[in-house]
Order: sequence, then structure tokens, then C-alpha cells
Amino acid sequence: MRDELGIYLTLVVASIRARMEYKASFLFLFLALLVYYLAQVGVIVIVLTKFGSISGWTLGEMAFLYGLMVFSQGVTTVLFGSLNDFEGQIISGGFDRLLVRPLSPLMQILASGFEISTVAHFFIGTTALYFGSKSSGVEWTLLKALYLPVVIGGAVLIQGGLRLGVAAVCFWTIRNRSLVHMLVYSSKEMIFYPISIYHWGMQLFLTIAFPLAFINYYPSHYFLSRGGAQLLFHPYIQYLTPLVGVVVFALAYMLWRLGISKYQSAGN
Amino acid sequence: MADRAAARAVDAEELFFDALEGFPTVTMYLKFAFKSFQKQLAYKFEYFVGVVNGLLFIFIFTSLWKNIFDSSKASASSGFTMEGIVSYAVFAMIIRISMSQDDMGVMGKIRSGDIAMDMIKPYNYFGVTLAENVGGTMFHWFTRAAPILAVCLIFFDVSLPRDPVNYMLLAVTWTMGYLIYFMVNWLFAMIAFWVIETFSFQLMKYGMFTLFSGGIIPLDFFPDFIRPAVAYIPFMYILYVPTATFIGHIGHGEAMGFILFQGAWVAALGLVSALVWKAAQKKLIIQGG
Repeated sequence: MRDELGIYLTLVVASIRARMEYKASFLFLFLALLVYYLAQVGVIVIVLTKFGSISGWTLGEMAFLYGLMVFSQGVTTVLFGSLNDFEGQIISGGFDRLLVRPLSPLMQILASGFEISTVAHFFIGTTALYFGSKSSGVEWTLLKALYLPVVIGGAVLIQGGLRLGVAAVCFWTIRNRSLVHMLVYSSKEMIFYPISIYHWGMQLFLTIAFPLAFINYYPSHYFLSRGGAQLLFHPYIQYLTPLVGVVVFALAYMLWRLGISKYQSAGN
Repeated sequence: MADRAAARAVDAEELFFDALEGFPTVTMYLKFAFKSFQKQLAYKFEYFVGVVNGLLFIFIFTSLWKNIFDSSKASASSGFTMEGIVSYAVFAMIIRISMSQDDMGVMGKIRSGDIAMDMIKPYNYFGVTLAENVGGTMFHWFTRAAPILAVCLIFFDVSLPRDPVNYMLLAVTWTMGYLIYFMVNWLFAMIAFWVIETFSFQLMKYGMFTLFSGGIIPLDFFPDFIRPAVAYIPFMYILYVPTATFIGHIGHGEAMGFILFQGAWVAALGLVSALVWKAAQKKLIIQGG
């Protein structure tokens, strides 16, 4: 296991060095990402300056909600970013090459495409979390400070599990580009806003069937001390992010293992 | 099902081109449009995802506005009623989908060098690209915009405007907005002649389009100090003007002013597009030795 980790890190460093080769274009990409995300934030800021609050969430609270999502998305992209183009590896046959090497194929894929552009995610996520907790007056107790990384870990497992599950679909369908687009990117727009703006049926869906609400909505209740008045469920739900993360990732990993065994037995 | 639809499209194509025999140039551009339409028919799953995506965004923003406009305060300060802003959200998204264009094609050709083949062929590449986009757009009209509209009319309690003038104004503002959008895409694609890493520019364009086109928030909600600036960049003329005109938020008289502005943008961007294309051709020849 320690050897595997060593190899993984070596591959990651190699990948970073490849990306850094063109420094100017890297810097420009960072700027472009900032513009892109500022536009997203701009939509929320304009609505809030005009109308004061969304479903009882003020600018500071919305910033915290957004920050939690973007930061955990940044960590997810660092670890699982290369899974989004898994389709390409299956089509080109690149994945077959990984299968014959003495290292877990999943590890090799995760190490192959280290997305250094996620620096922008961390930058925006940290800023939003900082501003959000400051302006909505979060009292940082030791417990909250210790729990934040745990929640982010859980949120990363949810998003990583989602990407892994969507990638595993390739073993059966070869192509999954549209599915990536819908389930990984578009769906995230749902949780830019507190899910209490949606019909209760959708809130149920985002909690049980497609649990994106655990990435930022439920844990934000805890950090912002919002109480449970807005929740459809028992207030304990705000602590469940880590558990949900483990369950989602375990299910996705099972699907992935099933997919690999199916892929190999097909005689590829 | 798609096969039968494709077969029918071919029938229609033959009939259509028989009728146009005397006009070779027009026929050529129309052929590009038809081919592009047919290409789109091949991706069934993409199609399904596109429809679901569109409905998802409509669902998000109608929920958002309904929640905000639930308090009577909001409608007084914004110039929109709740019905007004909900139908804005619905039609802005439908018009956005109805304008879908392939904004990576030209860029891809420039990067791969295939553009050289298009330059030596006896047609105007700008016109051919436009024709191809129109074909794709027609596909999006029938297969995405129309079903989404139907679903919205049934489930999102919005209604179509009664006044036929609104439809005529939509036809004009939509066409102008479409041309502006096309030329913005064209100019961003041209960047690939000078810069290798174009993804960053695309990201910036998406960002500006999201915020300023009116696809999500109408221009009326921008703070006073930004609004005049937004009126001087082309993005709001792409979606805001057609949508606000169609739902009657912009009155008929006021719409004329906006159409004039759209016309000015079409002319200005057309000129710049032509100049940049000339410069790009020179640039390519220099590189080729």
C-alpha cells in the first residue's frame, strides 16, 4: 500500500510538471477560471443585492453554502478529475494498457490527469467560506473547526463517488459524455441555492435518491447554527454528510469493480 | 424512430432542392444547413440529456423566482410580477436552447489546420459556417425547444402572449440576437489563429454570457451602476431583448429602439468579423511560408 501511494505521488508530480510547462498559459487559465466563477457568483450576488435574501438565506450564508460546494469540488477535481474523460480512455484502448500494469487501474487513472486548474476552486472556495462565516457571524468553536475538514471529506466522497459511478457506466455503454455533463456538471447548479426553494418532492430526491444536498445544504445548517425549522427531516440530518459520503462512494466502487470484471470477461 | 425522421428529412430535402435548381449558390448553403441538421439526428442520448438539462434549469430558476416573489415586496421593487418573472425564466431558457450553436467547430478546424481546406474551396467560409449553424439550430428548435415549451405550458403555469405583434417582434429580435451570438462565437474562434491555448478564452466567454446575456437574470435586476455598462456590450442583445420583448416586458414602441441597437451590433460585428477573417488568412499564409 505504501509503495502504491509512492507511485501515485510520483505520477501526480509528473502530471503537474507537464501542466506547468507553459507557465503563461497556465496563469491565463487561472484568470479565466476566476472570471467564469465570478460570473456564477455574480448571478447570486445580483439577486441578493436586489432582493435581500433567498429563502431566508442572506448573502453571507449563501457565500458559505457556495464556498462549501466549490471547495469540496476543488478537492474532488484534484483527486477524481481524470475520471471525467474516462470515455476517452476506453475508446482509445488506453485503459487496456493500465490493466496489465501491477498497480490498481483506478489509482493509475486518478494519478494521470492531475487538474492543476483547481487552484482557482480553492481560491474561490476559501474566499467564500471566509467571507461567508465572517459576515454571517459563525462562532468557530474547536468542534466546528475540527468538523469542517470531516464534512469536506464527506462531500468529496459524495462527488468522487458520483464521478466514479458515472465513469463505470462506460464499461457497459462505452460512451458517457452526456451523462457526465448532466450528472456531474449541470446537477450541481441545483445546490447553488438552498434546496428549500424547491418543491418538497425535489428536496426528497436531493436527500435520498441523489444526495447532493449533503454536500453543502445540510452541513451548512450546522456551521451557521440555523436550527431545524427549514428542514424536512429530523435536525440530526445535518451531521450525516460523512456517513452519506462513505455509502455513496462504497456503492460507486462496487459498480466500478463489477464493471471491470464484466469488461475483462468480454475478452477485451 | 430517428431513422424514420431521418428518411423523411431526406425526402423533404430532395423536393426542396429540386425546387431550387435555378439558384446554385443558395442551394449550396442550404445543403450545408441540411447536412448539419441530419448529423444532429444521430445523437439520440445527447438529445435526451439536452431536454432534461433544459427542464432542470427552468425548474431551478422558476423555483428561485417563485420563492423570492412570494413576498409581495419583491414585485413592487423590480418591475416584474411573479407571473412575469416566471415566464421570463421559462422563455429565456427556451430561447437560449433555440439558439444553440456549435461554438467549437471552427476553433477545432483552426487548431487542427483543416481550415486550410475550407479556405481553398470556392465558398465563403463565414457563410458556410452560418448555414451549418442554422441547420443545427433548426434541429434544436424542433426537437428541444418545442417539446420543452410544451412541457412548460402544461406544468409550469406559463402562457403564450396573445398579441400577434409579440410574435413578429420575436422573429426580428431572435434573428438579430442569433446573428450577434454567431459573430461573437466566430470572433472568439478566430482567436485560435493567434493563440494556441483557446480554452481560457472560451471560459471567459461562457462566464460573460451567463451573467450578461439575460439568460438567467434580466437586465432590470442589475445594480444601477452596472446597468449602463451592460447595455454597451453585445451579450444582452442576444437573449434579454428577444425574451423581454416576447413576454411583453419591453413594450412595442420601446422594442423598436432595441431592434435598432441590435441592428447596429449586427453591422459592427459583421464588419469586425470580416476584417479579422482577412487578417487571419494573411496570418495563416505567413505561417505556411
